[in-house]
Amino acid sequence: MNLELRLPLADALLRLADDEMILAHRDSEWTGHAPILEEDIAFANIALDEMGHAGVWYRLVAELRGEDPDTHPDQLVFHRALDEFRCLRLVELPKGDWAFTIVRQFLFDSAEVVRLQALRRSEYPPLAKAAAKIAIEERYHDRHLRAWVRRLGLGTEESHRRMQAALDQLWPYATQLFEPQVSESELVAAGLFPASEPMAAEWAEAAAAILADADLKIPTVGPGMNGGRENHTDHLEPLLAEMQSVARLEPQASW
Amino acid sequence: MSDTQWPRYEVFVQERPGRPHQHAGSVHAPDPEMALLNARDVFVRRPECASLWVAPSATVRGGTAEELSQLVAAPVSEEGSPDIEYLVFAKLEERGTLAHVGEVHATGPDDALAAAKAAASRPPLALWVVPAARVERTLPEEAASMFDPSRHKPFRDQAFYHIQTALRRLRRDPLPIASLQNRGKKR
Repeated sequence: MNLELRLPLADALLRLADDEMILAHRDSEWTGHAPILEEDIAFANIALDEMGHAGVWYRLVAELRGEDPDTHPDQLVFHRALDEFRCLRLVELPKGDWAFTIVRQFLFDSAEVVRLQALRRSEYPPLAKAAAKIAIEERYHDRHLRAWVRRLGLGTEESHRRMQAALDQLWPYATQLFEPQVSESELVAAGLFPASEPMAAEWAEAAAAILADADLKIPTVGPGMNGGRENHTDHLEPLLAEMQSVARLEPQASW
Repeated sequence: MSDTQWPRYEVFVQERPGRPHQHAGSVHAPDPEMALLNARDVFVRRPECASLWVAPSATVRGGTAEELSQLVAAPVSEEGSPDIEYLVFAKLEERGTLAHVGEVHATGPDDALAAAKAAASRPPLALWVVPAARVERTLPEEAASMFDPSRHKPFRDQAFYHIQTALRRLRRDPLPIASLQNRGKKR
């Protein structure tokens, strides 16, 4: 690989890692509180899976940066400042009600399915290999989420109303899922990372079909949310304060 | 009092291809597909699994050895012909669980139970019959995304984290109170 592309590729993977990590944290907030026991276990599994995926991406970031893949991920997660996180605003939002959680997770996981298929064709073999492995798990997440979207969308008057309200609120944030990045064109030209626009189109079509089947209407939104991934909602700060609190008590502790 | 619980489904796990499906427990779910997904999440996190079956608990007819001994051969109903297929699960060992042993055709659940008992190679400790049409099964092409991930996850026993050792050491050699109070303030 062209050495000059190592750091831009690390940045691209850091975005994926931060998305998974912050979403995993939000998902974990349901542990012990999900609507029924079976779903509590299922959703805790999903949260753990997303955290595992974040770990895979953070390790690749470490390797591309020449850092220790065993210790750098913890540094990135627990000792990095708010303004260095590059997650989507979609994953920062508080967990809301169950419909909100389901719609957000569906939007994210259906996008992941598309992105991982494209990442499997990366010319950077460790990335292609990791994507192939994660894709298997995301296919299951996607099935689980599609099942919930359909049942709540077509369920009762209340479940449909809550799902539509969640979609209305979340859809504008979803436009950031495949927002083209500044350094993208070089990575795309080198075959290391997939271009955003074709993935955005593929995802939008797939998501629209599932939502239509669930009798949910995609809201019309104006131009997507302005500002890149260096801009965050006010919700990220308290999330990081909680997530990082224990590690920061004793930065040298070994776990 | 109205029951707001979702219906219960019995879950049968096949650990490896060629092995019988064995009863693993039950889950609540609003419909068969969700029952299958819940069964995967509740019962297939760590153990090996090649295939999953679920069936509504309400469709299961079963009995222990004692109950089966009182089973009178069901009267063959006039109109019915034995054309309903039932899966038969038998518990043959005291330490074993209900495992799929075959199928019978019968006119109804009692008839099926009697037929299953008659067909058993040795007296079972318990028998279940489940109408085959009510069993939801994972498809072979779903197996990878349903079951492969659990195989790649490390199983960590609590001993992995050395908590017991650390606690024993702390008990033997307590930290001075002052150092506990100052924890977290230094750096």
